[in-house]
Amino acid sequence: MTEAGRSHFWHSDGRRLSGLSTLLLLLPFFTIIAFVFVYPILQLLVISILEPHPTLDNYARVVENPVHMRVLMRTLWTAMLVTALSVVLGFPVAYYMSRAKGTVAALVAVCVILPLWSSVLVRTAAWSFLFQRNGLINSALMSLGLTSQPFKLLYTQSAVVIAMTHVLLPFMILPIYGALRSIPNDYGRAAAVLGATRLRTFLEVILPLSLPGVVSGSLLVFLTALGFFITPALLGSPQEMMISTLVSKQIREVLDWPFAAALVGVLTVFVTLLAIIFSKMLRFDRLMGNAS
Amino acid sequence: MGLGARGRRIEGKTEGKRGSVNIVSARQSASGASIRISRLEKRFGAVSAVDGVDIDIAAGEFIALLGPSGSGKTTILMSVAGFEFPTSGTIHVDSEDLTYVPSNRRNLGMVFQNYTLFPHMSILDNVAFPLKMRGLRTAERHARAEAALATVRLAGYGHRRPNELSGGQQQRVALARAIVYQPRVLLMDEPLSALDKNLREDMQLEIKRLHAELGITVIFVTHDQSEALTMADRIAVLRDGKIQQIGPARQLYERPANLFTAGFIGEMNFVDVRVESVGDDVAVALPWGETWRLPATAAVEPAVAGEAAVLAVRPERLQLGVSPAGQVIAVTLSDVVYAGAALLLIGHLPDGTEMRARIPGASQLSSLVPGDVASFTIPTEAMLLYRGKRR
Ligand SMILES: Nc1ncnc2c1ncn2[C@@H]1O[C@H](COP(=O)(O)OP(=O)(O)OP(=O)(O)O)[C@@H](O)[C@H]1O
Ligand SMILES: [Mg+2]
Repeated sequence: MTEAGRSHFWHSDGRRLSGLSTLLLLLPFFTIIAFVFVYPILQLLVISILEPHPTLDNYARVVENPVHMRVLMRTLWTAMLVTALSVVLGFPVAYYMSRAKGTVAALVAVCVILPLWSSVLVRTAAWSFLFQRNGLINSALMSLGLTSQPFKLLYTQSAVVIAMTHVLLPFMILPIYGALRSIPNDYGRAAAVLGATRLRTFLEVILPLSLPGVVSGSLLVFLTALGFFITPALLGSPQEMMISTLVSKQIREVLDWPFAAALVGVLTVFVTLLAIIFSKMLRFDRLMGNAS
Repeated sequence: MGLGARGRRIEGKTEGKRGSVNIVSARQSASGASIRISRLEKRFGAVSAVDGVDIDIAAGEFIALLGPSGSGKTTILMSVAGFEFPTSGTIHVDSEDLTYVPSNRRNLGMVFQNYTLFPHMSILDNVAFPLKMRGLRTAERHARAEAALATVRLAGYGHRRPNELSGGQQQRVALARAIVYQPRVLLMDEPLSALDKNLREDMQLEIKRLHAELGITVIFVTHDQSEALTMADRIAVLRDGKIQQIGPARQLYERPANLFTAGFIGEMNFVDVRVESVGDDVAVALPWGETWRLPATAAVEPAVAGEAAVLAVRPERLQLGVSPAGQVIAVTLSDVVYAGAALLLIGHLPDGTEMRARIPGASQLSSLVPGDVASFTIPTEAMLLYRGKRR
């Protein structure tokens, strides 16, 4: 390799990368993606229409069976609910983190990030302890005299939604925090000196400028929630299955790979559509000028 | 509550329907307000950012706050704008105490260093924003915003986004947004420092023109002294949170009140001397053994016999050659620099002190080369005497 060719590699000064260095930078990543993501998905989709013989029957079974459609709708609804809850719970935390300094702020940041270091399984198991008939929540309610009988909390859809929101909350908080942090302090000051109250400053300036963070956080949480497996499997009711549980059942118990593949296919179509809509929204936001 | 008549008027504006009426009345009385900053102090923990600052600003005056980095200029401006509340002291605008009034009720205009146009709004909406906050109807505020854009010569740019404008244009929009609601005071924190030199000069003229047109009172923060000298009616020189001198450009330049200002504004030669006697004139001993008699007026700060003092002379006041009008010095030249309209001569005095001279009409002097010993005359009236030692 020539000196000139070599010099193309290290562009910390922001010069454009040459074709070769672009390739070398991205090749490992795309190789992995191709083998562990694109190939299996394509394989599944192929199975869904070619086995046992070329047919769309597998898809017909998904769409025509109201039970399966209900599972799909429940999954979408749960993911939406979890996303909405995460926005409502996460935005104030992100807003606080972006404003605050000092010990309390550091503590909050640790509380947001630390759970990411423990596994989803551990956090879900923790919730199942809390939700048990004689778990912490029920004993607290009963000792406060708010109820005489323990509530059924474990194995309900509410338990799933609560636990999933908890697990996914950091993925909402962090992008919103990032967006809020990138808003210069002077914007708030400018709004104030121009006559805006704190509320109007928030509504007219801070909130619109933080929307890209809300959108990417929502995308992250929603898409992850759609395919969530452990939490629904451990905390959900068998009568109210989510699609990941259904797929796993088809594969491991019924051994009906083509049908499981068709379920994944339908979900993929939904996800793709939603991703397109979301990215349109993101680009719309960039048009609104997040450049400066 | 202690809010004066003006405070009530501002509150009236934010109430909505009555807003437009009030704005019209503000326009008819469009002119600057007087500002009185008294014994202002602001401490951040152990740091004293502003340390007992008094400034009286007349209605319609253009005042510049000038000083090195960290001298407290921004902190003073932030206190006037209401982003910082001072540790002690007061800020009055037109005799109304605004010291602890929140920013959004002060009705001041402000332009920031980095434009701070809201990126998600069009230019027109940006300019109309303060009118929206004051409850004006859409049509009305758009009309006024258009008019304000026209005053900064950006008519027709309203539909664009901030990132579609150049830096200079963005700053002009920021200016339009700061004046569209007819504030009586305009605050600017280094508004031109993000612009390149040519644009900066255009904007200086633009701001001067607006100031003359609107009669608005301006507080302008800068660390660019030529900007302060050309633009402001008066300049307040700050250092470590204290005012060093406040006065018109000419006074600051011709008779700086202390060593700091003398060194900070423009170029200055300093020579360490010792005061021998003080009487009708002041006798000073120079490091190379001569004694000069200076007129008593040369002593800016009172001279005390036996103490160290510093003699200060502007480079452009030195005259090449020997003349009876002043004191003569011999300078061994080390550099001869052609600097356009003038020749810059750099050399040292017999004791090694550096001395610079700027001599206009450079062409006839081209015979001077480094190594030559040149004689200069320092006119008596060009000499200033300060207490202390040069740094
Ligand atoms: N929020 C703050 N917390 C702590 N110290 C501060 C704060 N703001 C300013 N200071 C300190 O106060 C002093 C004055 O700062 P200020 O920003 O007013 O200076 P300035 O004259 O505007 O300087 P520059 O030319 O660099 O903008 C500095 O020593 C600065 O470090
Ligand atoms: Mg500053």
